[in-house]
Amino acid sequence: MDSSDDDFYSGEAMDDDYDCYNSDNADDNDDYEFIEEDPEDDIDNSTSRRQQQSYTVLREEDIHQHQEDDITRVSTVLSISRVDASILLRYFNWCVSKVHDAWFADEDGVRKSVGLLEKPIVQFPNAKELTCGICFDSYPHDEVLSAACGHPFCSACWRGFISTTINDGPGCLTLRCPDPSCEAAVGQDMINNLASGEDKAKYSRYLLRSYVEDNRKTKWCPAPGCENAVDFAAGSGNFDVSCFCSYSFCWNCTEEAHRPVDCGTVEKWILKNCAESENMNWILANSKPCPKCKRPIEKNQGCMHMTCSPPCKFEFCWLCLGAWSDHGERTGGFYACNRYESAKQQGDYDEAERRREMAKNSLEKYTHYYERWASNQTDNVNDQVSVSPHAMLCGSDRIISRQKALADLHQMQTVHLEKLSDIQCTPESQLKFIIEALLQIVECRRVLKWTYAYGYYLPEHEHAKRQFFEYLQGEAESGLERLHQCAEKELQQFLTDDSPSKEFNDFRTKLAGLTSVTKNYFENLVRALENGLADVDSHAAACSKTTSSKFAGGASKGKGGRGKGSSRTGGAHDTGR
Amino acid sequence: MANSNLPRRIIKETQRLLSEPAPGISASPSEDNMRYFNVMILGPTQSPYEGGVFKLELFLPEEYPMAAPKVRFLTKIYHPNIDKLGRICLDILKDKWSPALQIRTVLLSIQALLSAPNPDDPLSENIAKHWKTNEAEAVETAKEWTRLYASGA
Repeated sequence: MDSSDDDFYSGEAMDDDYDCYNSDNADDNDDYEFIEEDPEDDIDNSTSRRQQQSYTVLREEDIHQHQEDDITRVSTVLSISRVDASILLRYFNWCVSKVHDAWFADEDGVRKSVGLLEKPIVQFPNAKELTCGICFDSYPHDEVLSAACGHPFCSACWRGFISTTINDGPGCLTLRCPDPSCEAAVGQDMINNLASGEDKAKYSRYLLRSYVEDNRKTKWCPAPGCENAVDFAAGSGNFDVSCFCSYSFCWNCTEEAHRPVDCGTVEKWILKNCAESENMNWILANSKPCPKCKRPIEKNQGCMHMTCSPPCKFEFCWLCLGAWSDHGERTGGFYACNRYESAKQQGDYDEAERRREMAKNSLEKYTHYYERWASNQTDNVNDQVSVSPHAMLCGSDRIISRQKALADLHQMQTVHLEKLSDIQCTPESQLKFIIEALLQIVECRRVLKWTYAYGYYLPEHEHAKRQFFEYLQGEAESGLERLHQCAEKELQQFLTDDSPSKEFNDFRTKLAGLTSVTKNYFENLVRALENGLADVDSHAAACSKTTSSKFAGGASKGKGGRGKGSSRTGGAHDTGR
Repeated sequence: MANSNLPRRIIKETQRLLSEPAPGISASPSEDNMRYFNVMILGPTQSPYEGGVFKLELFLPEEYPMAAPKVRFLTKIYHPNIDKLGRICLDILKDKWSPALQIRTVLLSIQALLSAPNPDDPLSENIAKHWKTNEAEAVETAKEWTRLYASGA
């Protein structure tokens, strides 16, 4: 099986692809090296460069820096203290221009509503002793504190007051003088003088959170444990952003990044997954029976290539429950299983029986798309992809979750890259093409996943579109598999070499070429789907399978010169040498 | 026991409440718990509650004055901002509390609330509705309740 895989994936068609890519680049590796040596080409940059750069990822220190910068700007322009500037900015949701506009339009009005007084309301210049307004005890003049208003309170009461409000939550950011009739703001300077270390830290935390949460152009990265925020510049229409933690999300709806599907469809799909979860749990939590011997099988690894335990030893595909021997070129590639219709027709063996037991056709259709969507999902509990040796061996025939792809990426960055650099006597800076490839795989898994939600909502009656969609999706699956195969399996050999390998340069060329080709293909796929597969409308609806490959070419060529590589991917199925 | 660590502020407030009571208001601490006050408020003149004597209970929680006192009507009263358990909807008892407020100011605010019911921010939906649709009739009911439950007899 493995050797035939090799043939399949490293066949002529693929060589063609990278030859074509290569010829574009003067048939020389120098071009790659030139690209790799781009000084700004670190991973973070390349991830975000994937999209048009309409956003900035902010680490905690960056958030602090931005906040400080904004405070400085306001403080300088309005000639007020930094503490007052901070209070003003918070009041105007950290929008510097709004602060300026409001201030210059009506300074007195702003001062009044925000509580920034220019002079005290009450003064006791000659009093020796003052009575604290909270505990009613008398104190010498210098033991009494007040905000800008002058209302006197002793430091013990101030401490109690400040501690109480900080522990009541973020409302402490708009603290005012304790006197009920007084609106004077209490700023961070007083907090820092009077609060305990723990409370000061809480206050700073609230202030930082406020800068992200009250600010209309920033949002937290929703990934668990991630403390970065994303600053988004409106206007590009594409909301997908990628955090430094590698999590991609939609800035608009803060769900996971979901291009080519729109936010509305994602909401519908997620709602549906919740609504159907009872059924889905029943279907997915229960094991599947071996199609041959009917013993129940629980899948606990990522590979779709199942082998029943002896004596049965029947090999089958976990997704369609068809015999594994039926998978391959004959069914249009190992990933022909993505075709709902053909899966239904091919459902011989016991699958027909199993499906008959399933109540409704609609559920059946949903199940089909849900299972495939979930296979590419990051945190799917039913499909725990392990990094077992078995999974490594049959890497070519599995749907690997994005989570696994991310784990691979991490492993590469932390362990393998250095090792590889030593063995192949190549500086790490010139090995970035591998990271690029792995990042591309992560991104492709994500897109692929959402194409299943897309497919679910594609109207039944639009036969031409469905057919074209399934074709494009199938091509995407196999293209991605080729890339993954190359990035993972072919790389292994160079990791175990004793000395620098001559073929390493060829490998570099091939992997970089595949990355570029796959990238283009997926970009075109996303555009075509976002476009509602408009190409199909403009052609005769009654098109056959033979013409659909032309669509693929058309769809990619239409995007200008960069589509060159991907227009060739249509040839990927010309197997053999 | 509960009185041994009574803050000076509470002692001062109590002394002042007893020595210079606010007009129409009396508040005296319970003998066995100095944080618990028996309160009486006279119905303000020219209000439906005129002539009534309303009993309330007031409790100063441990956090007082950083936290607001807890106040409740014990006498049945027909008022849109007071529910049938006697709980009062008043901003200074909730989010507008400030440690610079006192028992006296709280009770004065409650007295003012009797003079000026606010059916737009109701605690008791039915009474507020009544107040808004037929104020004259609602005022009559309030007077009737005052006679029935707050006559002091």
